[in-house]
Amino acid sequence: MRMAIDILQVLLLILIAPLVRGVVARLKARIQNRRGASIFRPYSDLAKLFRKEDMVPSTASFIFRLAPMALFAVTVIAAAFFPVLRGSALLGTTGDFFILVYLFALGRFLLMLGAMDGGSSFGGMGASREALVSTLAEVPLLLALVALGMVSHTASIAKMVLWTTGQDFFQLSAVHALALAAMVLAAIAETGRIPVDNPTTHLELTMIHEAMILEYSGPSLALIEWASAVKLTGLMALLIGLFFPWGIAAAFSLPMLILALVLWIAKLGALAIALALVECSVAKLRMYLVPDFLGVASALAILAVVFTALMR
Amino acid sequence: MIQAFDVLLTVLLLVPAVVLVVRRWPSARIISSALLFCSLATGLAIAGIAFWSGKHVSADLSKWAPFPFSLSLDRLSAFFLFLICLIGMPVTLFSISYIERHYAGARRDWLWVLLPLFVLSMLLVVTASTGFAFLFGWELMTLFSAALIMVDGDSKERRHNIFIYLLMMHAGAALVIGAFFLFLPHAPGLDFAQIRNSVALLPQPFRTAIFLLAFVGFGTKAGIIPLHLWLPKAHPIAPTPVSALMSAVMLKTAVYGFVRFAFDFLGGGPAWWGYLVLIFGGLSGVLGVLYAIAEHDLKRLLAYHSAENIGIIYLALGAALVFVANHAPMWATLALLAGLLHCLNHAIFKGLLFLGAGAIADSTHTLNLEELGGLLKRMRVTGTAFLIACCSISGLPLFNGFVSEWLLFRSFLAASGLHNLTAATILPLATGVLALIGGLAAACFAKVYGVAFLGRPRNQQAENAREVSLPMRLGMVLLAIACVVIGVLPGLLLRPLGATVQEFLPGATLPEEAVSLATLMPWIALSVTLLVIAIALMRRVKKTVPTWACGLPGLNARMQYTSTAFSKPLRKVFSRVYKPDRAVEVLPAGQPFFPNSISYRSVRTTSFEKSMYRPVVDAVVATAYRLRRLQTGNMQVYLLYIFVALIALLMFMRWS
Repeated sequence: MRMAIDILQVLLLILIAPLVRGVVARLKARIQNRRGASIFRPYSDLAKLFRKEDMVPSTASFIFRLAPMALFAVTVIAAAFFPVLRGSALLGTTGDFFILVYLFALGRFLLMLGAMDGGSSFGGMGASREALVSTLAEVPLLLALVALGMVSHTASIAKMVLWTTGQDFFQLSAVHALALAAMVLAAIAETGRIPVDNPTTHLELTMIHEAMILEYSGPSLALIEWASAVKLTGLMALLIGLFFPWGIAAAFSLPMLILALVLWIAKLGALAIALALVECSVAKLRMYLVPDFLGVASALAILAVVFTALMR
Repeated sequence: MIQAFDVLLTVLLLVPAVVLVVRRWPSARIISSALLFCSLATGLAIAGIAFWSGKHVSADLSKWAPFPFSLSLDRLSAFFLFLICLIGMPVTLFSISYIERHYAGARRDWLWVLLPLFVLSMLLVVTASTGFAFLFGWELMTLFSAALIMVDGDSKERRHNIFIYLLMMHAGAALVIGAFFLFLPHAPGLDFAQIRNSVALLPQPFRTAIFLLAFVGFGTKAGIIPLHLWLPKAHPIAPTPVSALMSAVMLKTAVYGFVRFAFDFLGGGPAWWGYLVLIFGGLSGVLGVLYAIAEHDLKRLLAYHSAENIGIIYLALGAALVFVANHAPMWATLALLAGLLHCLNHAIFKGLLFLGAGAIADSTHTLNLEELGGLLKRMRVTGTAFLIACCSISGLPLFNGFVSEWLLFRSFLAASGLHNLTAATILPLATGVLALIGGLAAACFAKVYGVAFLGRPRNQQAENAREVSLPMRLGMVLLAIACVVIGVLPGLLLRPLGATVQEFLPGATLPEEAVSLATLMPWIALSVTLLVIAIALMRRVKKTVPTWACGLPGLNARMQYTSTAFSKPLRKVFSRVYKPDRAVEVLPAGQPFFPNSISYRSVRTTSFEKSMYRPVVDAVVATAYRLRRLQTGNMQVYLLYIFVALIALLMFMRWS
């Protein structure tokens, strides 16, 4: 039964992910005074892409088709590390956040290879830029998680979530503020949102993620899009779990789980609004300002670790 | 077991003789390689039994040697013997065809004579249980590897590189000898057991001196930055099987030596030892991978990655020293476990990468990344094995590099529970360093693999590349399998490695954390594989189309991103490390908008050679010039020297 809930959490993350994208896109449209597409548009996009042919460049090897499949598989597995409804995750174990971050790295590595397999300059350009951003984003992400692990004296995401639930919101330390800031910045870079990358751009000066997947079409593209939606939702769930977990089902009972679900969706909606507001009010950074952006994130994360050690 | 061990040593000694005897026979290479392969397999079996069962084996060979000479296998030695044999076997397989194809006549004979001797010398180093046996093997290892590099050819530059290699190795060896001799005032002899027993009597300054000598001495061999100078010089010019053995195995003997000294003999020390090792490990890791990113010669790139991985290993050893100093033996076990496991992992994937580089050179005759491309379609087995190695070295899950890096991450995090504030701050921060190293390594190997194996071939030779011969493929496939097996089933190694560490860290237990990964990884691997298969079954047929070229015809290989272009953003961000010297030349100078030719040059100007070694060398040479005044060539002056020396000695004898 508990395992069923854990599996349900994974399915929830995977299935709700396109909706989150749709909501963010719709909110952005509204803020920009447009009407915008339906919030269910990403689902119909995915369905359309899955029905199409898979176009493979003549120069490409088997990596080109393997990369999206492996990326999606790895992202689904990564989704099993996030506690959503209750303070545990299907694959949660001690030291699981290191596995989580590196699972994302594995998916990205394969996608970078898939991009370079097309044999055009776009793929290489995207892969090279993605390499830069992801390398620099991993450091603050891991350090912020380490700081939270140090505060809560645990080494797994689920236990950190449970620990935070036991705290009073207004008693939380500066470490949490620092770690939150660092993680938000790192998560923006990881998921390729404004101001680091623009998911809707098709201008070669600014493309990062889009340049990588330019050669992909049909089901492969659908897998990549879905995987990046799951990653976005997963990281949002991680932020919710680590910093605003109150309401998560403490005991194993149906009403509590339903309450947790409702609250979680409300929190997700709030984060989506915040994301849309940021994306509408901030311009995309010039490519070589991204390292500074992530440098700030790293500095905040380092401070979080140092403060945690000092405040014990 | 003891007999088997003796037989192994004898056979390895006999292989060169047999090679010389049979070299004229048509089946010479089969006999020599089969002998070497079988003796390595025996070694693997012995080491495996000793490592997993914990049974000690020893052989006293003092009666054949002029000094106390005995070998023994405790678990640590058995682990490193296992490592040597595990890498040695595929390398031998690879060599069967590689040496045949690239070397003829005397050079081929030399290679087959020297290879077993080189392996034997490394085997002596890790199994020696007396100081003399250790130093004997240590010296032979340097000489045989240098000889193997010389087999590949002769030119002024090569000689210079080999000279630097030998010079640094001997400087390192001198320090190691010094470290051994500092035990002597308190130990009756240099038998390892005697050393261990006498350490309790050793005063602290002696311990510190021994530790520093061992750190620098073994560090030279391991190639930690800034002592790495020889690495990018010696590895690229060696024959491929030798580069593989040198990088994968020989560097590990230095780690073995350091672990013996720092943990087994000295039993750890003050915390600053740990921080010292940690700082140099981090420096080595970050700088090694940054230098590698800027390279486009595959073998030199891999050589810099050796410095990076040695850095990771030293990070683990440093963390273990800090834990020992803070009385946290359980976490010291985990950190040391991570370091030892990374030795094995690095040996496997780096051996595979070097063999892969050899296979690329074999079929395209170049190792310059800018001239390769599209090799995966032409060399499927090599390409797949190389991909596995790239994933492993980048520390990605499901492959072996991740297991050791995860253990290290876990032990860094555990330091937050220590009472000492410095340790509880610095070790968790080291997580960031390790994450940076991992990210940069992934970027570097995305570049290597993407440029060399994917996309379009950049010249005719890459276009015509063919898959390499069966023995070469077999060697690579074996190593690739090892990468995946350790990555998916780390539990196989964790428990015996934990027991290994417990042999010399008293009070240590293996934390349950290590096991959590071992239970989780098979499930992750299984579910990822099943998911990929399921998706693959559901996919529609593919349609092959030309690559999108913005609607214009004539997309060609020169329009692809090159290795230099790929690494440009990272080089720009880390330009402080490289301090590039850039020059753009536009011809003719009067027409900036319609030039006939543009040339661009960018050279890395930071070099330890210039800033660290050159002053030392200059000082030595200047002193030598000054001392030359003593050598007048005049007989009377020399007689005077003798007389003065005699008087001085007599006075010394009288008053001392």
